[in-house]
Amino acid sequence: MNTRSKRIVNLAIISMLIMLVLSACSGNSGGSNGGTNKENGQSNEGNSNQAVNTDQNFDDISADIRGNKGPTQEQIDLVNATLNDTYLGDVFEEVIPSDYSAYPFKEEVVLDVWMPANSDIPDMNAHAVQKQIEKLTGIKVNFITPPIGQEADSFTLMISSGDLPDIIIDPGRYPGGFEAGVNDGAYLDLTDLMEQYAPNYTAWRNSNEMRRKTTVTDDGRLLGFYGIAPYSEWMWFGMLIKQEALDKTGMDVPNTIEEWHAFLTKAKEVGYSEPLNYGSNYGQIFTGILNGAFGVWDWTFLDENGKVGWGPAQPQAKDYLATMQQWNKEGLLNRDWATADFNQRMSTAISDKTAAMMDSPDTMWSFWKQQNNIDFVGALNPVLNEGDKSATTYRNFMRTGVSAAITTQSEHVEAAMAWLDFNYTKKGWEMINYGEYGTVHLVDENGMPYYHPESYIYNDPDGQPVAVTLHKYRMHNWPNIRDEHHSNPLIVSEGSYSGDIRKYWTENMDASVAMPPISFTKEEASREAELGNQLSTLRNEYFAKIIKGELPVDAYDKFLSEAQKMGLDEFLSIHQAALDRYNNR
Amino acid sequence: MKSTPKVKEAGGVLNAPKSSRLQSVLKKDLNKHWFAYMLAIPVLVWYIVFCYGPMWGVAIAFKDFKPLLGFAESDWVGFKHFIDFFQGPYFWRVVKNTLMLNVWGLAFGFTAPILLALLLNEVRNSKFKRVVQTITYMPHFISLVVVCGIIHIFTADEGIITQIVQLITGKEYTSLLGYSSFFRPIYTFSGIWQDIGWNSIIYLAAMSTVNPALYEAAEIDGVGRIGKMWHITLPQIRPIIVILFIFAVGGLMASGHEKIILLYNPLTYDTADVIASYVYRRGLREASLSFSAAVGLFSAIINFLLLWLTNRIAKRTSEVSLW
Repeated sequence: MNTRSKRIVNLAIISMLIMLVLSACSGNSGGSNGGTNKENGQSNEGNSNQAVNTDQNFDDISADIRGNKGPTQEQIDLVNATLNDTYLGDVFEEVIPSDYSAYPFKEEVVLDVWMPANSDIPDMNAHAVQKQIEKLTGIKVNFITPPIGQEADSFTLMISSGDLPDIIIDPGRYPGGFEAGVNDGAYLDLTDLMEQYAPNYTAWRNSNEMRRKTTVTDDGRLLGFYGIAPYSEWMWFGMLIKQEALDKTGMDVPNTIEEWHAFLTKAKEVGYSEPLNYGSNYGQIFTGILNGAFGVWDWTFLDENGKVGWGPAQPQAKDYLATMQQWNKEGLLNRDWATADFNQRMSTAISDKTAAMMDSPDTMWSFWKQQNNIDFVGALNPVLNEGDKSATTYRNFMRTGVSAAITTQSEHVEAAMAWLDFNYTKKGWEMINYGEYGTVHLVDENGMPYYHPESYIYNDPDGQPVAVTLHKYRMHNWPNIRDEHHSNPLIVSEGSYSGDIRKYWTENMDASVAMPPISFTKEEASREAELGNQLSTLRNEYFAKIIKGELPVDAYDKFLSEAQKMGLDEFLSIHQAALDRYNNR
Repeated sequence: MKSTPKVKEAGGVLNAPKSSRLQSVLKKDLNKHWFAYMLAIPVLVWYIVFCYGPMWGVAIAFKDFKPLLGFAESDWVGFKHFIDFFQGPYFWRVVKNTLMLNVWGLAFGFTAPILLALLLNEVRNSKFKRVVQTITYMPHFISLVVVCGIIHIFTADEGIITQIVQLITGKEYTSLLGYSSFFRPIYTFSGIWQDIGWNSIIYLAAMSTVNPALYEAAEIDGVGRIGKMWHITLPQIRPIIVILFIFAVGGLMASGHEKIILLYNPLTYDTADVIASYVYRRGLREASLSFSAAVGLFSAIINFLLLWLTNRIAKRTSEVSLW
């Protein structure tokens, strides 16, 4: 009897423990969700008192706001809490629409929005910009963010459970892509709804032919809301030279491949033992910078007839490989270009070994200038003959940020579209790119928002660096009108010239070889993935071995015949078909 | 295993009541030790829910699985994914590399912990023994990314390992990770460095159960230290070695992609590109759950055949086996 009762007590304790563990696990997500819901509800109750201006004929307040360096609380509230956007200028080629007829939204709804988490934003539901947009649109939102690192699993689980939220941000995660998600019935085809429920998005995407073309499918459907920029964003990757290397060698910024050879040789003489940081194991042999001079682009490109070509199979590939093999032999490249990881690459870059680097000026701004006070300049992609125009396969087709889809299970399609459509209004452009008025940004004489020196972006009350505040007080990647050139604090901060380099590159290079964002059908996609993987394995291996000198340049012939055997022609015809469909959009 | 013949004998004498006798034994046992049985339930449930339940899911290898449509609604495509994989130009290379890396692991990685355990077993100073044990099993807890970072630095252009290799061979090398002939040694020996201590624990535990009388008897017979190791310690832990060996052979076709991807590059594809890394690169372009399931199933079947074969051989030759 005694032992039995002991056992029962034990059992009770163990089952309690199990229950505790289980409830602790599940309670985590459930609890926080419940909490945030409550919070949302409360904050909204407070809002309803604040009358949101629904009148389309606002008083013109531009005299008060434009150029105002110390706005009063009343002025701040007028900007932050009303839809009055009269103070914002028309600063881009196309006018940003401002149709606010849907706000505040006619009924009480709470939208569930799934999105991958950002480690710099601890709680999306408490994001400053989000709260403000909730105020202005009158639409409540509950963000569902999976733990960082588990986005892929969480997404697959969500899809296979069949229980979908109203909106999914980054819908391209669907196996086979965004379009496959619409075809399979996960996402709603918005073609017939856009004009009526998303007037701003419709107006904005139609205001420019390139924008229209990149946001519609081959068969003319509108899948969702894409991030669309007012302009093609600057290219972000290219040749960078240390200023001191130019001074020491006494040479100008090189332009042709021959000049580059002379510069690197001289740089080696004056002490840079591995003058050109050529690449690393994360794949920067192929950047289109040096190989582009020979027309041997990394991957697919548009040839002069507007047909798709494959760079590694171009006629001058042997010249490119022979040149690089020679440079490698002469010790002009970093010795560990094939194996270095990011940290090794950066530590070589800041050392006295390196004179020039192929990388992003934003990255090198941080590693060279900010951390080590090394000034640098950008060089255009090299050309083969004097007088040729530098070219690049990189071009941003005004498509940036992320996309958003509305699911087939949403019961509030109209509200979901209204909520997303706000991002494509003038007010949305201001709030999402530049954050709150007063604390984060002010507006200049031309009606252009900017970060003043006291802005939270540069002076975070919590003391966090710009790399964090750019996510914390504004949305960096969002389905919206992204204004990267003026609102990315890394570019616009005082003294930074990385943006200038990017602008210089973009304006002085010919990007007509760049492939537009084409899309494949389901059958094509699977075959393309297979062939693409095989061809890139083949290319990476042969090119690296030839440059390293492990294989002779003539091994290129074998490479080409193997590529053809693998199905290079089929690969190209898949791309060509997709390109033809794109051109007919 | 040993109780099976006994039951048979009993059943041979009283054939009919065999099952009822078993039942009554079980019933008695259940009454007496119900608490112990209850403790086993969670484990049982865990196996059913997480191991046996999802097993039917391998069928997606024969389908064009779409998560939204679910398992039943997705189209059957037969062996399409298998054929895609087998017909790829790199199929034989990745299979060979997977096998070779694991054979290296078996040859060196499997024997090293036994050797360490044997040596540690001979150490009489228990303090020294414990210090060595702790130091050797500590790397096991370092994250793989950090380990690979360390490997990158040590095998870099002027890294310490590169310099040692240059001294021994008298040849000039840049970073060792750029040579396909060095990939297998680097991969295997860094693995040994990381796991030797951890894997030797089980052997040390087995050695501690060896009857000291055996050693005493051997000492009286004038057997030396090496002799005792060879004739007493090793035969005594043989069952453990054999069982772990069977498991290891059963993993010959298995491969993880993390460490490979952190260490390889196009220059070393010919020895470093394994099934998992190849599938991973394809997955970067198009996440196909069915394709990876097909490749996984293929590896698992080969692994199972190898396991079964080794088990059979082990049973015949050493009388130790898994089943």
